Amino acid sequence: MKYLRIWKRLAVMSFMVQVESFISSFGYLLGKLVRIGFFLFFLFSIFKHTDALVGYTLPEVALFFLTFNIVDIVAQLFFRGIYGIRSMIREGDFDYFLIQPANVLFRVAFQTVDFLDVITILPVLAVTLYVMRHIAGAAGQPAAPTLRWFLYGLLALNGLVIAFAIHIVVAALAVLTQEMENTIWIYRDLMTLGRFPSDIYDSPMRAILTFVVPVAVMVSFPAKAFLGKLAAGWLLQAFFMSMTSLAFSLWFWRFATRRYTSVSS
Amino acid sequence: MKKYWFIFSIYWQEGLSRRASFLMERFRALVVLISFYYFWSALLKHRTSFAGYDRSQMLTYVLGMNVLRSLVFATRTEEIAGEINHGRLSGYLLKPVNFMLYTFSRDLSEKSINLVSSIIEVIGLILIFHVDLKCPHDLQTWMLFLTACAGATWLYFILSFMTGCWGFWTSEAWGPRFLLELFLEFTAGAFFPLDVLPRMAQQIISSFPSPYMIFFPLQIFLGKINSHQILDGFLIQLFWLLAISGMARVVWVQGMKNYSSAGS
Repeated sequence: MKYLRIWKRLAVMSFMVQVESFISSFGYLLGKLVRIGFFLFFLFSIFKHTDALVGYTLPEVALFFLTFNIVDIVAQLFFRGIYGIRSMIREGDFDYFLIQPANVLFRVAFQTVDFLDVITILPVLAVTLYVMRHIAGAAGQPAAPTLRWFLYGLLALNGLVIAFAIHIVVAALAVLTQEMENTIWIYRDLMTLGRFPSDIYDSPMRAILTFVVPVAVMVSFPAKAFLGKLAAGWLLQAFFMSMTSLAFSLWFWRFATRRYTSVSS
Repeated sequence: MKKYWFIFSIYWQEGLSRRASFLMERFRALVVLISFYYFWSALLKHRTSFAGYDRSQMLTYVLGMNVLRSLVFATRTEEIAGEINHGRLSGYLLKPVNFMLYTFSRDLSEKSINLVSSIIEVIGLILIFHVDLKCPHDLQTWMLFLTACAGATWLYFILSFMTGCWGFWTSEAWGPRFLLELFLEFTAGAFFPLDVLPRMAQQIISSFPSPYMIFFPLQIFLGKINSHQILDGFLIQLFWLLAISGMARVVWVQGMKNYSSAGS
C-alpha cells in the first residue's frame, strides 16, 4: 500500500507537469498515435499487393506490430524514470532517494509516469483485441482456445519482465559510470526490429534477436503463441530468459549501488 | 560567404566532438535501414517484383532512402525555438550574420557529417548483403537527381526553420514539431516508396510538399519516371520552395516584431 501511495503521488506530479505544457503534450500524443496509425496503414497497403508476409496474413502481421507497441508502451509507462537516471545522479536526487524509506529502484523507475502513454495504450489495446478476435474468427473459432489468450498475456508479461531487467541494467550502468544514459536509446532502437515478425530475419540475425537482444522473445513470442505457432520448448526458453535476466539485473543493481559514492550535492 | 564557411567548419568540428549523440543517431538510422532491408527482402524472396519494383530497385530505394534521410532530414533547427525562448537569439542578432544563413550553415555541417556516415553504412551493407544496386548510367540522370536532392534539402530546411520560429509565440514548440517531423517522414517516402500505397492515399500525399523530399529524387535515381513527370516534379518542388520560403519570411518578420528577450 505504501508503494501504491508513492506511485500515485509521483503520477499526480507527472500529470500536473504534462498538463501545464498542454500544447507540447498534445503534439507528442498525436504524434505517437499518428505513427502507429501510419504503420498500420502501411501494412494494410502492402497487403493490397500480396496475400502473405513470410506465411503470415495481414491481421497476423498487424498482431506482431501491435504486440510490439503494447510491450514498448507499457515498458515506457512503468519504467520511464530510468531515462532520467543520469540527471538524478548529477543533480543529487539519487542521493536523496537513497536516504528515503522506500526502495531506491522503485523510486528511480517511477520518478516519471508518462500519461501520454496511458492515453496511447488504450486505442492500441482496443485495436489489438479487435485483431485477435478477427484472427480467432478467421480460423473458424469464434473464441480462440482460452489457453492461447492466456499464453499471449503471459508471454507479453514475460516480455515486460525482460524489458524491466534491461532497464535495471541500464540504470545500474549509469550509477556505476555516471554516463551510459544513451544505452537506453540503443535498447529502444533495437526494440523497433520487433515491429515485424522475427521470421523475416535470416538465421544469424534471428538468433541475435532471440538470444542476445531478446526482442523476438519479448515481442514475437506472444503473437506466435496466440497464433499457435510457438513450440512448447520456446515457452520454457522464454520464461528461463526472463527469470535469469531479472535475477542478473537485480544482482547488478545491488552491485552498482554498493559501489556508489555520490558525485553531486 | 567566408564567415558562413567558418560557421560550417566550427559546427562540423563540434558535431564530431559529440560522438555519443552522433553514434546514437547513426545507430538509429542503421536499425531502420536493417529492419526495412529484411522486410522487403522477405517480401521479394519468392517473387520477381512487388508493386512495380524488382528486388534490385526496391533494395536500392531502401539504401538510397537511408542516404537521403541523412542529407535531407539531418537538422539542428530544433534548437531555434530554445534559442528564441531563452533569449539567445539576441546574441545572433547583434552579430553581422544573417540568422537564416547561419542556421543553414549549421545544418549543412550536420547534414554533411551524417551523409558521409550514411554512405559508409550503405557501402558496408552492399558488401555484407551483396546488394545489386540499381544506379543510373547517364550523367543527365545523376545531375537531375542531385538537383532534386538540393531542392529537397532546402525545402526541408526552410520548413523546419519556419517551425523553429514557433518559439516566438510559444515555449511549447517541441510537441507540434515531433508531430510534424513524423508526418513529414512518412509522407516523404522515408520508410517506404509511396507508390505502394493505395492510389487515393498517393493523391492526397502528393498535395503536400513532403514527397519532393525523398520519394521524388529516388524516383529519378531509379529511372521510374519519364521526362514529363520529372519536369512536373521540379515545377511542383519549385512552387513549394517559393511558397514555403515566402511563408518563412512572413513568420520570421512577424516573430521578430513579437520578440523580446528581457532579462537574458
